[in-house]
Amino acid sequence: MNGNAFSLSQLGTLIRGSAVYRSIVRHGAADTNRNRSLVIFENLFLHVHPVKVREKTLKFSHTYWLGGITVSAMVVLIATGILLMFYYHPSVPQAYRDMKELKFVVDNGVFYRNLHRWAAHLMVLGAMLHMARVFYHRAYRPPRQFNWVIGVVLLLVTLLLSYTGYLLPWDQLAFWGVSVGTNMAKEAPILGPPIRFLLLGGNIVSENALLRFYVLHCVLLPASLIGLLGVHIWRVRKDGGVQGPPEPPADDEVEP
Amino acid sequence: MPLRRIFAITSILFLAVLAVSPLKNALRPYRGFQRAFARLGASRAKSLQAAKAYQQQPVAIHQIWLPDFENRVDRCTTCHLGVQDAAMTGAPEPFRLHAATYHTPKDIGRFGCTACHGGQGLATLEKDAHGEVADAGSPMVPLPFIESGCGRCHAAEKVAGAATLSLGRAALERNGCYACHAVKGHEAFRSEAPPIEAVGLKTGAEALRRWLKDPKAVDPNATMPRFQLSQAEIEELANYVFSLAPGRALADKVQAAGAEPAGDVAKGKAIFAEARCISCHTLEGKGNGSAPELSKVASRASAGWLLAFIRDPHAFNPRTRMPQFNFSADEARHVVAYMESEFKDFDAPKEILDPLRVNQTLAEKGKVLFRQKGCYACHDPGAAADRFGPALDGIGDKRAASLDFGKRTDIARTLPAWLEAKVKAPGSFQDGLKMPTFALSPKEAQAVVTALLSLGARPVPQAYRSTPAVRASLLPGGAVGALMDKYRCLSCHQIGDRGGDISTAPLTAEGSKVKQDWLVNYLVLSTTIRPILTDRMPVFRMTREEAAQIAQAFETFYLDPRIPEDPYAGQPATSRDPVEGKRLYDTLGCRACHILGAGGGYYGPPLTEAGTRLKPGWTYAWLKGPQKWRADVRCPNYGLSDASALQLTAYLDTLVKSSTASKAKQGGTR
Repeated sequence: MNGNAFSLSQLGTLIRGSAVYRSIVRHGAADTNRNRSLVIFENLFLHVHPVKVREKTLKFSHTYWLGGITVSAMVVLIATGILLMFYYHPSVPQAYRDMKELKFVVDNGVFYRNLHRWAAHLMVLGAMLHMARVFYHRAYRPPRQFNWVIGVVLLLVTLLLSYTGYLLPWDQLAFWGVSVGTNMAKEAPILGPPIRFLLLGGNIVSENALLRFYVLHCVLLPASLIGLLGVHIWRVRKDGGVQGPPEPPADDEVEP
Repeated sequence: MPLRRIFAITSILFLAVLAVSPLKNALRPYRGFQRAFARLGASRAKSLQAAKAYQQQPVAIHQIWLPDFENRVDRCTTCHLGVQDAAMTGAPEPFRLHAATYHTPKDIGRFGCTACHGGQGLATLEKDAHGEVADAGSPMVPLPFIESGCGRCHAAEKVAGAATLSLGRAALERNGCYACHAVKGHEAFRSEAPPIEAVGLKTGAEALRRWLKDPKAVDPNATMPRFQLSQAEIEELANYVFSLAPGRALADKVQAAGAEPAGDVAKGKAIFAEARCISCHTLEGKGNGSAPELSKVASRASAGWLLAFIRDPHAFNPRTRMPQFNFSADEARHVVAYMESEFKDFDAPKEILDPLRVNQTLAEKGKVLFRQKGCYACHDPGAAADRFGPALDGIGDKRAASLDFGKRTDIARTLPAWLEAKVKAPGSFQDGLKMPTFALSPKEAQAVVTALLSLGARPVPQAYRSTPAVRASLLPGGAVGALMDKYRCLSCHQIGDRGGDISTAPLTAEGSKVKQDWLVNYLVLSTTIRPILTDRMPVFRMTREEAAQIAQAFETFYLDPRIPEDPYAGQPATSRDPVEGKRLYDTLGCRACHILGAGGGYYGPPLTEAGTRLKPGWTYAWLKGPQKWRADVRCPNYGLSDASALQLTAYLDTLVKSSTASKAKQGGTR
């Protein structure tokens, strides 16, 4: 046993001493303020965060973690979505059949599909509640007005993702959902009919519509979502972190 | 640190939840079935090696993939593992060997399962596969209607080995369903119901009322269905019928015939029997039953009409299946005299055949009713471009959710149950439905539903479609065609896949089968070919010229290239040896079924005159494999070599009755 532990610690030393390990863990343990800062500065994924956050600013009742929940749902959606893309063909004879294949043949297929669906519901709900929270906390006011605008666009993209995913199972619900939805778009003045034509790739809900919705759902909308989300989170930091900048006292609160 | 503790606990919970799905995956029911099958197979195996083979089968999803048949994937065999395994005869489900039919179990790999059984082929869960869940489309076809699957590929009216389907298709035609409902392939269908204008000439007011009330009560062979008519509606329709003006020529014919003196009853009785009327009609229930019951006909039709009709049926109803008999003027009068004396309803009131004094107001209402009830669909088929009822194409794939069950809360909410209720009691779904009631027996109803379920929404791919081997044009043109129409050959005989089913002898290849001289004699005076059958060829009193014309046409048109004209061509001289043929005839046991000389069975046709009747090419082709020509025939296939078959043919060709010719000539001059 003793010898075993010895060889394990030896192995640990060997790994930690290797060039590959040292290229990844560049600063050693984050034991000093400088090292902690470097970990954040020199990491692509973490550098949008402030180097230091006070614990009280992370209080649950400040944000209800709604933005975080929404982003987590998005991560789940991307992971399960990629898995589902392995099995799904955006073509009329195959699309609905692939739903059946997921149910009957693919290992854990129903689980992935259901996870994708519930995560999508959660993301829409989270985004809306997040927005409501921001609104009631007056967190849209300067200097964060730009980030509010980004947020509104993000909500739209989220809703469009949800809607385009609705068609993909190619069942009756999907078919009529998209029929009704695109007919509503058609009623817009002047631009309506061309928008519907553009969305459907024709005048009826057919194979072209399925392909367009697939490309929108899997490429265009997620790409724009990730891009906008990057800006959104980056702006959060630039505008003073999750809690925002200290508010200047209102005029009537200024002591004479 | 409560936050960290919450984080830890939720993480573990989350992991546990994630484990549920792989666990469910590992415990899918088909795995259990496959292990049970391995145990069952091992216990039933005859050898240790076979037992091992069962146990070594890996647990996996099995499927039959048909890329050329709508890309079907049938995974039924994942659980139904023994469908093609002879060792699984009588095993418990889901492992039992498939029932033996024409295609199963050998062709299961070619056609899959769902093509006939319905259900969801993709599924690997029992309820999903059997279609008992909401998103499965439709449940499996119940076994009483399973022959509907045959009909998806086999479009012919008669499908060998599918008795229920064939019965159903025949019932659809016989009951005139196609008159109201459009079905692809039956666009040309015309009901043989009589044109409505001439009905007033035939019958009386009271007889018509009784008929309209319930045709089947008047004539059990009636094909007209029962319309739920009120007394007032019956009166209106009767007034309408009697208000119509029949053609002048017909009215004169009936009137003149009615004025003729009565014939001789005894002679009429003899002629009636000789003409073999009951090959189609029935008399007190005896007979074929594809034409009206005659026992009370004289109380339904006037004597004048009967006489005029028998002389020239096609003038009264061009669509009738009744052939024209060439009775002389006296002979026809004798027959009608016999009918008038015997075929009466003696309980009926005397005035049953009196015409109606027409009330114009009622007649006008009757005219409207005639259209509203769709009577014209059968009685005046040219009246409207569209069919009266909805088209039935694709009805076999209709979703139960799109059917109106109305008041019928007592039946299962499935398509077969709906169809069965519809054909048995069409009016039971709600009040005011127009479809009349056909008095179908339970068996007929089952058959009709089977035939309807075979009408799929999408055509089966060409590779799976069975087309009849010979698609002969029905009748030749010109004078011969007119003759064959006059004698209504197609009422009883089949040509190609069309025609009646009263005769067992299709005419499709008749010219390749029988000798022309014999055929002429037979047409002039038909003899019995198969004594076991009750329905005989009627004696039409055809002239010899007409018979010769028809026989010549058969010789020209109704040929089968697979039957050689001269089977001996290119064969050694020994193949013509009738002595060796006789020895074969005796050793093979042909006499068990065929009469020859003094002895023999009477299941098959007598062979005493085989050489007079049959062409050697046909005899040879038949002997090489009788089932090739008629799938259901009992004549065994002996697997004869060419030489033996030819020798037997040569022997049969020597069986000529010397007096045939002179006798037939006698018949022709009558």
